[in-house]
Amino acid sequence: MKIGTLGMERVLRIASALIVVGLIIEIISLAWFHPLAFALFAFVGIIVIGLGILIYLASLILVVSPPGEHRAE
Amino acid sequence: MGLTAILVALIVLTIVLAAVLLVRPSITAGATGKALAFVALCVLPALCIAGGLSTHMQRSEQTKFCISCHAMENYGKSLWLDDPSYIPAQHFQNHRVLADMACFSCHADYTIYGPLKDKYQGVRRIYEQYLGTPSKTIHIRGGYKNGQCLHCHAGARGFEENPIHMALMDSLKSNEMSCISSGCHDMVHNASEVDHLKMWSPGQ
Repeated sequence: MKIGTLGMERVLRIASALIVVGLIIEIISLAWFHPLAFALFAFVGIIVIGLGILIYLASLILVVSPPGEHRAE
Repeated sequence: MGLTAILVALIVLTIVLAAVLLVRPSITAGATGKALAFVALCVLPALCIAGGLSTHMQRSEQTKFCISCHAMENYGKSLWLDDPSYIPAQHFQNHRVLADMACFSCHADYTIYGPLKDKYQGVRRIYEQYLGTPSKTIHIRGGYKNGQCLHCHAGARGFEENPIHMALMDSLKSNEMSCISSGCHDMVHNASEVDHLKMWSPGQ
């Protein structure tokens, strides 16, 4: 499966959104001094941020150059 | 507090950069934009995860963290019992353990994978408390190990030269005989009775 430039922008948006949400969860967990804050960070925050990173990395592999764009040999 | 402030600053910076990419993903068309995306969506979030994990692990070792759970309230109160025969109170009040790491000092698993096992047990308790059926009394899986006492006491003169300890040393080290449940040091938390017992107030 390959994604074009427009698809890449959409994928970047999804990855960015997940990372922003995950980091907000991390800030909340740091401000809350309770065992549930640990669980919130470990089971929600890390998964959401990790998913954002994975989607971004996957997009690097799956992106296809637009027609006419050639690399210098 | 200093490291937490740095971590929060790093998180805020990452949120700002990721938000820029969220609003204008087209900036990644150029080489600078691609580099920015790599930093904002891979390097910095990974650092934030590592920093968050480290901070949460350190916080979970603090006494106030352990007793912030409702089920642990009476165990926390037992540290203030005005009776030196209670082992946790005696250790806590005389600073034989670090006061802000009192629970961790005596309940940590001092083995290679101990911290991971401790966190696993902690998460199990959270699950039982909020999603399962919490038991009326809290039991330590596998019982309290002498190794947790011996981590500090083994090799200490007062412990090693005590004639009773000398006679039982092999049984104690092999965990055959428990320090706390064999009639020797059996005054532990007594959490169910703690509200009816006299408390110590510093400075009084």
